[in-house]
Amino acid sequence: MDRLTLKNVSAYYRQLIVNKEVYVRAVDDVSLSVKKGEVLGLVGESGCGKTTLSKVMMMNINPPLEFIKGEVQLTRRDGEVIRLHKMSRRLLKNFVWGKNISIVPQEAMSALMPTLKIKRIAYDLVRSHDPNAKLEDVVERLEKRLEELGLPDYIADRYPFELSGGMAQRTVIAVATLLNPEVLIVDEPTSALDVLTQRIVLKTLADLMVKNIVDSMVFITHDIAIVRQIASRIAVMYAGKIVESAPTEDIIFNPLHPYTKGLIESITSLEPEVRKRGVKYIPGQPPQLINPPQGCRFADRCSFVMEKCKKEEPPLIKIGEGREVACWLYVKR
Amino acid sequence: MRPLIKYIIMKVFFLIITYFVALIIMFILPRAVPGNPVQQLIAGLSTGATSPELLSQYEQALVRAFELDKPWHVQFLNFIMRSFSGDLGISASSYGESVRALIARHLPWTLVLLVPANIVSWFIGNYIGAIAGYKRGSAMEKASILVGIIFSQIPYYWLAMTLIYVFAISLRILPPGSAYDPTLKPSLTIEFVASMLRHYILPFLSLLIPAIGGWIISMRVLASMELGSPYIQFSDSIGVRDKVLFKYVLRNSMLPQVTGLGIQLGFVLAGQIITEQLFNYPGMGILLARALGTRDYPLIQGVFMILIATILLANLIVDFIYVLIDPRIRLGYRTA
Repeated sequence: MDRLTLKNVSAYYRQLIVNKEVYVRAVDDVSLSVKKGEVLGLVGESGCGKTTLSKVMMMNINPPLEFIKGEVQLTRRDGEVIRLHKMSRRLLKNFVWGKNISIVPQEAMSALMPTLKIKRIAYDLVRSHDPNAKLEDVVERLEKRLEELGLPDYIADRYPFELSGGMAQRTVIAVATLLNPEVLIVDEPTSALDVLTQRIVLKTLADLMVKNIVDSMVFITHDIAIVRQIASRIAVMYAGKIVESAPTEDIIFNPLHPYTKGLIESITSLEPEVRKRGVKYIPGQPPQLINPPQGCRFADRCSFVMEKCKKEEPPLIKIGEGREVACWLYVKR
Repeated sequence: MRPLIKYIIMKVFFLIITYFVALIIMFILPRAVPGNPVQQLIAGLSTGATSPELLSQYEQALVRAFELDKPWHVQFLNFIMRSFSGDLGISASSYGESVRALIARHLPWTLVLLVPANIVSWFIGNYIGAIAGYKRGSAMEKASILVGIIFSQIPYYWLAMTLIYVFAISLRILPPGSAYDPTLKPSLTIEFVASMLRHYILPFLSLLIPAIGGWIISMRVLASMELGSPYIQFSDSIGVRDKVLFKYVLRNSMLPQVTGLGIQLGFVLAGQIITEQLFNYPGMGILLARALGTRDYPLIQGVFMILIATILLANLIVDFIYVLIDPRIRLGYRTA
């Protein structure tokens, strides 16, 4: 069952360049769904539109970002379908954000109000959704949640700056999921942490799924090596589009799209075959998103490029069970 | 808490040194300017009615009385010794009245005028500025920027003169100056308090309005900076109410403003020389202006001695208030 569904979503940044309005197509005609019990890894290089897509998933659209078209649907645990794209910002904020869909932002160290204790921050959150909430109840709930996530309960009485990087990151996770949202989006949760702390944070995120605190998760990262440890499915994003999505093992061991292949090959790890062939990278730069090229956006960097690739954009087609790829190589002629 | 105690001792030690350096400068500067209080007095007497001999005897007696015949460091030491035992000396320009009595008479008026003006303008200006910063791009923000810039750039003395002209001269609804009706004797009667309040309005407004403008401008910038910070965006995206977010912004951007208020309150004792003169308001500003104009060394010294002390003290207190209200600084000591 789908928890979160995006249908043909486009969101552009509006820019003024010398009095001329231009649109940066950060998210361009993306369709995606996240199922119940699934951790979806959203992978791509910097500037490919991952974070913008996470904003679209919540419909947290602020200028200069504009929602152009598409549908965003969230299915609640009680079966009711919420159409986020039809809702006003006020409604979303009061009834959906934090409660049905929540986010762990990139800058966890500074994501918590610095001059309040964690329990006050949690209290303000719960009170925003339930005006009758009492501080004692919230503290109890928070301490229980901290314990479930393997964090010491004294954190509730601390200020955010008294926590270390990993602690702060996990505390943000605990606060963001305090109301048991159906869907949690985590945006580069591990990029500022050392390798050991990364593991602990991953474990915390896995606990959220195991303990049914959240139903589904979208894990945004540029690091396939990290995301493969937690994601059940991976979607690869390139220049504002999803180019491939498949179960994690398929992506890692049998990537189809040439871009995915390039990404996998550029992983730096200690695996013997990698050591033998050396680290590879994808030559070239992603295209400008103001006037993206006609045809496949990866064509200029692709080693399998054909005539057709430069003229027509490849559709995202289904290949086998749960696999989708947008590449002319896999379209049957 | 040991490092905190060490910190306090260091602070107080440097404060005392600063105080004495400031006192020495304050003591030397008026003496470096041509003319002294005795010359001023003698110049006032030498209209021809007194004989030159009597005048020179009189001058010598005054020079001895004010110790102007001694080297400056001896004068300074004597001044310090006496003033710390509570004797600030006799004012040279006020017919033998003691400096302490003069200050005691002028200080309350200045405090009554300046402390409320400072505090009220701080609250109003910061509140408006915070709303303006929070509602970026709104009509409210544009209006408050306009008001803030106009208010803060109005010369306060020009505003004072305009207020006098409009309300006291044209409309004749408020008195043009002084602190109370001169036909009344200061007392706690309703009549006197009413008269005081009527006289209070114009000087109060002339100080309040420009100060509000300044606070609006600085607070708007601070608040909009806080608004762009990650913790506000995160709280917003998990559904924390706008009312609460505004409180967050207000709380965190208020912290630097507390410093500003503390330092302003430290300067309160100097009075507002120009405002007090315009309104003929019997505060410290008028006293200080007279002391400087007549080279009244004892009065200058007395006023500055207290003024410097309060400014330094205000700075010290601000440091500690900051420690109390900002947990980031308060608890920094625990780990340091």
